[in-house]
Formats: sequence, C-alpha cells, structure tokens
Amino acid sequence: MELIETGTAFALHSIMELVASLFSSDNYTAVKKMMDVAALRHASIASNIANVSTPGYKRVDLSKTFEDELRGRIERGNARDISDITPRTEVDNLAPSTRADGNNVQLDSEMLSMTTNTSNFEALTQFASGSLKQLRVAITGRTA
Amino acid sequence: MNILSATSITGKALDAEKTRVDITSQNIANANTTKGIDGKPYQRRVVAFESILDEIAGQNMQGVRVSEISSDKTPGEIVHNPQHPHADKDGNVQMPNVNIAFEMVDMLTASRSYEANLSVVRNARQMAAQAMSIGR
Repeated sequence: MELIETGTAFALHSIMELVASLFSSDNYTAVKKMMDVAALRHASIASNIANVSTPGYKRVDLSKTFEDELRGRIERGNARDISDITPRTEVDNLAPSTRADGNNVQLDSEMLSMTTNTSNFEALTQFASGSLKQLRVAITGRTA
Repeated sequence: MNILSATSITGKALDAEKTRVDITSQNIANANTTKGIDGKPYQRRVVAFESILDEIAGQNMQGVRVSEISSDKTPGEIVHNPQHPHADKDGNVQMPNVNIAFEMVDMLTASRSYEANLSVVRNARQMAAQAMSIGR
C-alpha cells in the first residue's frame, strides 16, 4: 500500500516538473516578455496619438537599446536572461518634425504601427495558447 | 503589464478633443454675433493643449489636457451697413473675428484626432480580449 503511494507521489512529481519545464522554456519566456513589450508599445502609441495636437510634444517609443538587447538575449536563448530584462521607453527627439510647433508625431505612421503591434500581440497570444493546448493534450490524451 | 492602462491617456485625449470641437462649434455659432454678453462683438475662442506625465500608464507616457481657452484679440472686419442695429454713427459695424473656413478645418482636425484615439481604445480592447482567451 505504502509502495503504491510512493509511486503515485513520484509520478505526480515528474508531471509537475514537466509542467514547470514547459512554463520556463525559452520560447514561452520569450513570448511572455514580448507580450509585455507589445503592451508597452501600445501605451506609447496611445500617448503619441493623444498628443498629436500638443505643441512641442516629442513622440515616445520603445528604447532602441532595449530592443537590441532583447533581440540579443533571445538569440542567445537563455530563459532566465530573457525574463530578467525590463522593457523601457525613451523620448524620440531624433524623428524629424514637419510642423512649426515642433511636434514630431506622424498620425498615419502611428496608426500603422498600432495595427502591426496589435497583430503581433495576437500572434503571441496564439503561441501561448498553443503551448497550453499541447499541455492539455498531454494531460488528457484527447485532442478535442 | 497592464494593457488597459493606456486608456487613461486616451480618455484624457478624447476629453480634450471634445472640448476643441465644442469651442469650434461655439465660434461657428457666433460667427455673426455683433453684440456679445459684454456688449462687444464676439471674439473667437482658442483652445490650447498641454501634455501631462502619466506615470500610471508607464515611464515617459504623457496624457493631454486643455491648458487654456483664451480669446483671440485680433479685431474683426468692419462692415459698412447703416441699417444694422449695432452700426455706429458712421454706419460701420464691427464684426466678430471668426473665420468660418478656419473653424471648419479646426473642427475636422479635432474630429479626426478623436477618431484616431477611439481606434486606440478599440485596439487595446482587442488585445485585452485576446490575452483573456489564452489557453481556450
């Protein structure tokens, strides 16, 4: 009787490890981070569109150094490395201003990057969903 | 990370753009008001926006608000119309300084900006709905 219980506990433990390894895999961690990034990008686009008529406003964007850093870490493929990085934004003073009031927001390009960003986010949620569905199939043994 | 945090920024922007449309409509409505409540011809109102830091939405994020609604002091046209009840002794009427074409352009710009902000809300909602359906 005790032997069976020990066996069940062992099986349970290996299942927990399997689940934990799935949730800490490189891809899953990268997807989580990239969803954070997409949410932050959406907030900066919202700020830019909100201030399209504010004189002197300079557009906000994800920090270029952050994007390079994230890309580098994802290429190196170390899950802990990826989850350690915090998304950050910066004020984009370099974008040329075509207006007399110094505002450098281009409404059309902001709208375009907003649409792109939303589609990106959708792709990321699909991936996250996919991993969870795979796990469910593994647990239940049913595909439907 | 909160997807809907950006809606606080957008909400402020919708508010500000709405004020701009309201003021424009007031200007157009008073395009021919030669005697306002102060007894003088109507002076067009101008809305000025300013950005405000919104730390809740994130670092560097800026909301917007109406900083000032001021009167445009430029004198309006003087029209010779002796039949007008508000004409001076020479028969001249001081008209308001409202330019309908200018106001229409301002109104269109404001309503387009309003639409752009609405579509930001739509996208945020879509993203939130997708995030909530993860695993389904």
